[in-house]
Amino acid sequence: MPLTSAALIHYLHDDLNIDQEIAPETELFSSGMLDSVAMTNIIMYLEETAGIVVRPADVTLENFDTVKAIVDYAHAGA
Amino acid sequence: MKGETLYRLLADNLPRRAEKIALIDAGRQVSYAGLMTEVDRVASWLVGQGVAAGDRVIVHVRKGIDEVAAMFGALKIGAVVVNVNVQWTPTQLAYVAGDCRASAAILGTTGAAGALPAHLPLLIREGKTLPSGAALWDDLAETEVAEFASEPDSLAMIIYTSGSTGMPKGVMLSHRNIRIGALAVAEYLDLSEDDRLLSVLPYSFDAGLNQLTTMLLMGGTVVHQPVAMPSEVIRMAALHAVTGIAGVPPLWNQIARYLRDAPTPLPALRRITNTGGKIPPDILPLLPQVFPGARIFLMYGLTEAFRSTYLPPERFAAKMGAIGQAIPHAQVFVVKPGIGPAGPGEQGELVHAGPLVSMGYWERPELTAEKIRPCPELASLIGDTPVVWSGDLVRVDADGDLWFVGRMDDMIKTLGFRLSPTEVEDLVSKSGLVTDVVAWGVDDAELGQAVHIAASLGPDATEGAVMAHCRKTMAHYMVPRRIHPWPGAMPRTASGKLDRPAIITACKALL
Repeated sequence: MPLTSAALIHYLHDDLNIDQEIAPETELFSSGMLDSVAMTNIIMYLEETAGIVVRPADVTLENFDTVKAIVDYAHAGA
Repeated sequence: MKGETLYRLLADNLPRRAEKIALIDAGRQVSYAGLMTEVDRVASWLVGQGVAAGDRVIVHVRKGIDEVAAMFGALKIGAVVVNVNVQWTPTQLAYVAGDCRASAAILGTTGAAGALPAHLPLLIREGKTLPSGAALWDDLAETEVAEFASEPDSLAMIIYTSGSTGMPKGVMLSHRNIRIGALAVAEYLDLSEDDRLLSVLPYSFDAGLNQLTTMLLMGGTVVHQPVAMPSEVIRMAALHAVTGIAGVPPLWNQIARYLRDAPTPLPALRRITNTGGKIPPDILPLLPQVFPGARIFLMYGLTEAFRSTYLPPERFAAKMGAIGQAIPHAQVFVVKPGIGPAGPGEQGELVHAGPLVSMGYWERPELTAEKIRPCPELASLIGDTPVVWSGDLVRVDADGDLWFVGRMDDMIKTLGFRLSPTEVEDLVSKSGLVTDVVAWGVDDAELGQAVHIAASLGPDATEGAVMAHCRKTMAHYMVPRRIHPWPGAMPRTASGKLDRPAIITACKALL
């Protein structure tokens, strides 16, 4: 199943209990909203949902700082 | 010298190091003199709000120069710093503000302001629309404020720990606790004026705070990295030629995997330090490979005694996973309940005496009396000096080095054996099939207790493969009777430790 921004935002709100508003361009890590534990969860979510393998070296702000970046990364790797 | 206060750790760098860079953020840096100017701006605002010596001031600001200035602004006027982790929710922040009866709060953004009592004076670092009555940092005047001469044994900071049960409780640290903690750690880490430490761990956590205080003591430099993403940590470490990185197990786990995948030379790096739990056994041997030039220090501390033990790096290769012996100035013993000190090869509870022992829990005298009290088993050695009872079971080896066995409360009794959950977890981790694992005992008519584990399975791992690994590598009584697959990563406490009670409770609820 291809990952969508809506599904990922839903996951952040409902599973990771993030209270704040999240738009596709909201900075998640560089803003301090999410921590390393949340990052680990997102990686596992991507691996399960999008069926991709996330290489440790790919875990960068460029690929992971916004919902849009994460979705683009997942699509490129699928 | 104007006394042995926490504020003086910073102030005594002047005038000699006025122009030296004290702190570096991603887009900004500040000299010791520049930092003192910011400190005075905060201090003068606090004085203007009627905050006096001994009053509690909440600091809830993202890791950076401003956070340090906020803390030392409060310290300069003798106020008590209550630094609340920015990852904590507004509800937790409001609980802490109420529990410590805060007189003012310094916030990074306006986000959390709504949860705080309306009468509480607020200073906001950044915000477009301010709550009424709140002050904005940029509007503060540059006024020098008189320094309050706090007594060395008076309260300097309260560190709230999210306990495994109940609401967070505040551990009270005196100026002396924190200063001696800085001296002790600077000594065994061999820190000097030319060190630049990378700060990833929060200043609301004893080991994170200690990085800052050791650098102020030595007149070194701290580089702030608020984004705990391995690629960012390593990028910042390389860019600023840091000489030391401190982390906790989940961070080292991610960093080690990252560096194995994307090796990055860090020629300036002299040492890395771990605290806050055991690094999984499949990650420990990776550390010398990915950090070839660095000395590796494994450390142990409990907030109630600030910092306790470390393993000298020369012994890392031979004793991967040990927590070593007492740090300078601390007295650490292992006691067998009702009997006396534990000898080589024996196990017992780790207890800690000496000048690092905290002042106890904020406004919880019964809890303090339970945790910090004399140790009859050591009466012949230290009399009735109070010790911190850690609740941690450790083993003493032939050289007197200590090995963490498990939490006293968590020991599993199965088939007549006393089994540490950590031992089970380590063996499961070695399979490489799981990312997180927690073991515990469940009452069982036949076995006494049955071993259960919750495990986050890695990609391509199956329960069957984990069980096959267990049967192959474990003594029969250790093999889990049941695996609870955990979807995703496991919850952790603010200091990065697995939140064992929450995980175990969730699994029991599904039985």
